[in-house]
Amino acid sequence: MKVKTLMGVFPIIFITVVVFASVGLVTWTDSITTDKIEEQEEQQIQSMLKEMFPSMSEYTFEDDIYTIYSDGAGVGYAFLAMGKGSAGEIKILVGLEDETTIKGITIISQSETPGLGDRITEDSFASRFAGLNIEDIALTKDGGEIDGITGATISSGAVVDAVRATAMEKVKSLKERE
Amino acid sequence: MGKFWKEFAKGIVISNPLFVLALGFCPALAVSTSVDNAIGMSVGVAFVLLGSNLIVSTIRKAVPNIVRIPVFIVIIATFVTVVNLVFHAFVPSLYESLGIYLPLIVVNCIILGRAEAFASKNPITSSIADALGVSIGFLLALFIISFLRESLGTGSVSIFGFRLFTLPVLGDNPMTLFILPPGAFLVMALLLALFRRMGVMKNE
Repeated sequence: MKVKTLMGVFPIIFITVVVFASVGLVTWTDSITTDKIEEQEEQQIQSMLKEMFPSMSEYTFEDDIYTIYSDGAGVGYAFLAMGKGSAGEIKILVGLEDETTIKGITIISQSETPGLGDRITEDSFASRFAGLNIEDIALTKDGGEIDGITGATISSGAVVDAVRATAMEKVKSLKERE
Repeated sequence: MGKFWKEFAKGIVISNPLFVLALGFCPALAVSTSVDNAIGMSVGVAFVLLGSNLIVSTIRKAVPNIVRIPVFIVIIATFVTVVNLVFHAFVPSLYESLGIYLPLIVVNCIILGRAEAFASKNPITSSIADALGVSIGFLLALFIISFLRESLGTGSVSIFGFRLFTLPVLGDNPMTLFILPPGAFLVMALLLALFRRMGVMKNE
C-alpha cells in the first residue's frame, strides 16, 4: 500500500521539481542578463543619436530628453515617442534641430504588418520628416507635409501623430526649462 | 549511421512538418509574408527544436508517463525564454534578427509534436537527426510559401535587403491580399492541393 501511494505521488513530485527548476533557471538567467540588456539598449540609442547628429561628442539625459552637444555647444535634442500602430506600439527616436525644426526620426521598434505597415522603417519614409517644422508634421490628407505610405495609412498616421504630439510636449518642457 | 540519415531525410519530404504533418500552421502563416521572415523563423525553430529534442530525449526514461506533456511544455518554454534572454544580452546582432520569432516558437506545435512523437521514444542521436530533418523540411516549406506570397503581394522579392527581382506588372500594382492573412490561407491551400495531386505526399 505504502509503495503504491508513493508511486501515485511521484508524478506530482516530478512535475513540481521540474517547474521549480524552470523558475529558478529563468530567474537566474534574468538576473544575470538584465544589466547587460539595459546596457545594450543604451548603446543602441547612443549609436542612433550618433547617426542622427554626426557631430555629437557627448550627450546628457534629463527629464526624458537627450541634449546633444558637439564640443560643448548644444546642437539639438532627442527624445522617445510612442505611437499606437495597427498591431502594437511603435517606438520612435525623434531628433530636434532646435525648438521648432525636426532633425530626423528613427523607428526603434514596431510590430506592424510585414510588407505593408513595416515600411515605416524604410529610410524613404523616415527622411520625409527631416527639416520640417513641427507644425507641419501631419499627413498630406490632413493638410500636413508628410506623404503617407500607400496601403499603410494607419501605421504612417501613428508615426506622424506620435512625433507631432510628443515633439510639442517636449518643446513645451524645454521652454519651461529655460 | 544509416539510421541517422533515414531519420534526417524523412523530415524533409515524406513527413514534412507543414505539408504532411500539418503542424505549426499558426506561426507559419503569420511569418510567411516575406522570405526574410521565413528564414529567420526557420533558424529559430531549428535552434529550439534541436535543444528541446536533445533535452527531452535525455530525460525520456525519467519522466512519468502521465505528466509528460506538461513537463515537455515547461521544458520548451524555459528553453525558449532562457535563449531569448541570453541572445538579447550577449548576441544583440542575432537577437535583432531572431528576437521577434523566438517568443513565437513557444506556441509552435512542431516543437511539442516532435518531443512527444519522437524524442520521448528515441535515443539522442536519432532525436538530433529528427530535429535537423524536420527543421530543414520546415525551412523548405516556409520558403516556398513566403516566396509566393512576397512576389505576388509586393511584386518583388528581396533577401536581407538585396533585391532579387521585380515582377513587371505586379511591381507597380501588387496584389496586397497575398501579404494579408487571407493570402496565407490561399497560398497554403493551393500548395497542399498541388502536392497531393502530384502524389508527393501520401496519406499514411
